[in-house]
Amino acid sequence: MPASTRDLRLDFFRGLALIFIFVDHVPENILSYFTIQAVTFFDAAEVFIFISGYTAALVYGQILLSQGSLYATARILGRAWQLYVAHIFLFVMFIAEVSYTVTTFNNPMYNDEMRVGDFLDEPHVAIVKALLLEFQPTFLDILPLYILLLVLFPIALLGLRWRPLIVLIPSFLLYLFVQVTNVSVPAYPEGHVWYFNPLAWQFLFVAGAALGFPGRRDRWWSGWARTLLPIAALVMAAGFVVKLSWTIHGVWDPFPGVLLKELWPVNKNNLSPIRIIPFFAAVALVAAVVPAEAPALRSRLARPLVLCGQQSLEIFCLGILLSALGHFVLSEYDSAIETQLLVNLAGILVMCLTARMLDWYKTMGRGQARLAVSSGSGSGDRLRI
Amino acid sequence: MRWQVTRSRLARPALLVATLAFMAIPPCPPALGGAPDCNVPDELMQVDDKLPHLAERVRAKQPVRIVAIGGASTTGVAAGSPELAYPHRLQQILARWDPSSSVTVVNRGVPRQTARQMLERFPTDVIPEDPVLVIWETGTTDAVRGVGVDDFAATLQAGIDELKAHGVDIVLVDMQFSHSTTTVIDFERYLNTLHRVGDVNDVIVFPRFEMMRYWSEQNVFDFDGVAKDERASLAAKVYECLAGKLAETIRLALR
Repeated sequence: MPASTRDLRLDFFRGLALIFIFVDHVPENILSYFTIQAVTFFDAAEVFIFISGYTAALVYGQILLSQGSLYATARILGRAWQLYVAHIFLFVMFIAEVSYTVTTFNNPMYNDEMRVGDFLDEPHVAIVKALLLEFQPTFLDILPLYILLLVLFPIALLGLRWRPLIVLIPSFLLYLFVQVTNVSVPAYPEGHVWYFNPLAWQFLFVAGAALGFPGRRDRWWSGWARTLLPIAALVMAAGFVVKLSWTIHGVWDPFPGVLLKELWPVNKNNLSPIRIIPFFAAVALVAAVVPAEAPALRSRLARPLVLCGQQSLEIFCLGILLSALGHFVLSEYDSAIETQLLVNLAGILVMCLTARMLDWYKTMGRGQARLAVSSGSGSGDRLRI
Repeated sequence: MRWQVTRSRLARPALLVATLAFMAIPPCPPALGGAPDCNVPDELMQVDDKLPHLAERVRAKQPVRIVAIGGASTTGVAAGSPELAYPHRLQQILARWDPSSSVTVVNRGVPRQTARQMLERFPTDVIPEDPVLVIWETGTTDAVRGVGVDDFAATLQAGIDELKAHGVDIVLVDMQFSHSTTTVIDFERYLNTLHRVGDVNDVIVFPRFEMMRYWSEQNVFDFDGVAKDERASLAAKVYECLAGKLAETIRLALR
């Protein structure tokens, strides 16, 4: 797929989602009042998983159609392996930070209650559970979901090639089943569950994949999006008003939180309908209102976000590391608003520059490969999932 | 909630001015005897909700029974004795304010329990005491163990419903603050959840976390660098301060 025809909306919005995930993961961050979760019921996690499903189907669907199912499966599992290694790396960083704090801080006022290093009492179990993706400390809960989804993705992909509904219907029924029964997937330590319930969140990934699978009568769904536009706009507007009122109410108590008592809490673990319906409304809205060729997406201003979206694995991991670091700086040294803004600015800058560097590095690599082969194949790789 | 937390962040410039004004007065080293100066900004002492059952009991001059359920900071082991724990100090303060009344604060702290485990203790540890007010200190273990925030919210809701059904007033108490623990534990989600549950149910949430943060930032107490032999006395002083603020909160809610 030549770069000029690729749908930059995917890159742009995924890049934006990655920035938002970074910002939202820095606790007590003033900038988090200006991310998507402040005004909608869904947050950047939905955007990330949905677009990841979409691009996975686009890239591996193409490989499936041109190079067969065996190679497509191998490529998907290879990607899952990369994510797994990244996850373990982040886990080790986390353990290092916790171990350090636990051994240097020893005040009984806190120790009786919060032995944060509990899992260090039985490291042999904790490490194994981490390798099995069952141990998901804070911040390390979305990658296990992504990995599991990718490992199972080859089956979904084969189904999508045959009949999209054969995948979509069971996926949706499983989602409904979770909503009704509240069934969850156990994790470690005992009594824990997967923060992102894969039985529910798989539907978002599959829905993205169904829309992204290549060759199906060229974006058959963009017509749908236009028909549904008024409803989607209405849902978005209602969600906006309600959620914004909650956000303001949170900062300034006298401001009423519209329907707060009726609608809160909104279950994120199970991706409750109140999150997914506005999200699909947003997807329809973007699909109908923002054309894939919108010049704004090619502008210099959008470029850093597009690059972040294109290097999503690296930038995602980097974002998680940076938010842990930002958290550390803010809680250890100073948490004034200026420092918060500085931490955000530095983090976003590092993410964008890293994306730029990775893009340069990979482009150079491809140029070399082209020189060597001189036939210039492998352009499908341009679009990374 | 992120709320209270950020509300105080936003008020920072005003706070800064106030702090500068007070810099003219040399600060007393807090560790040296006497009652520590544990003032907090007014916004942390804003009490919008009432304690109707307690108010009725007080008005009728009937004996008041309060149950404090919570974790290690409720048991008060860190201070050295249950007499120094905040529930006992609270009982003393309330009794001092109104010597003619009979106030009992029952300590039902058990270290390292999640909100769910505390809720399971309600039928045996709380309800049989026939309290008119329950002070529920919770959230720490949930944050440490990373219990799902939705589960945490549901547990709090169930506990509030149960207590309300028994005609019991409630004060929720959030977590303890220290720099070191906040670097490795993400309290924010749990703080937000706890405060929002209180908000939605018109239940008072005592902002212990923000108070302790304030004391830490104002160098009233140093939670992170305290020497080994001063740790117990630090805990006792903090519990004393918290009991005082809690008593004041109760008084404001009874107005």
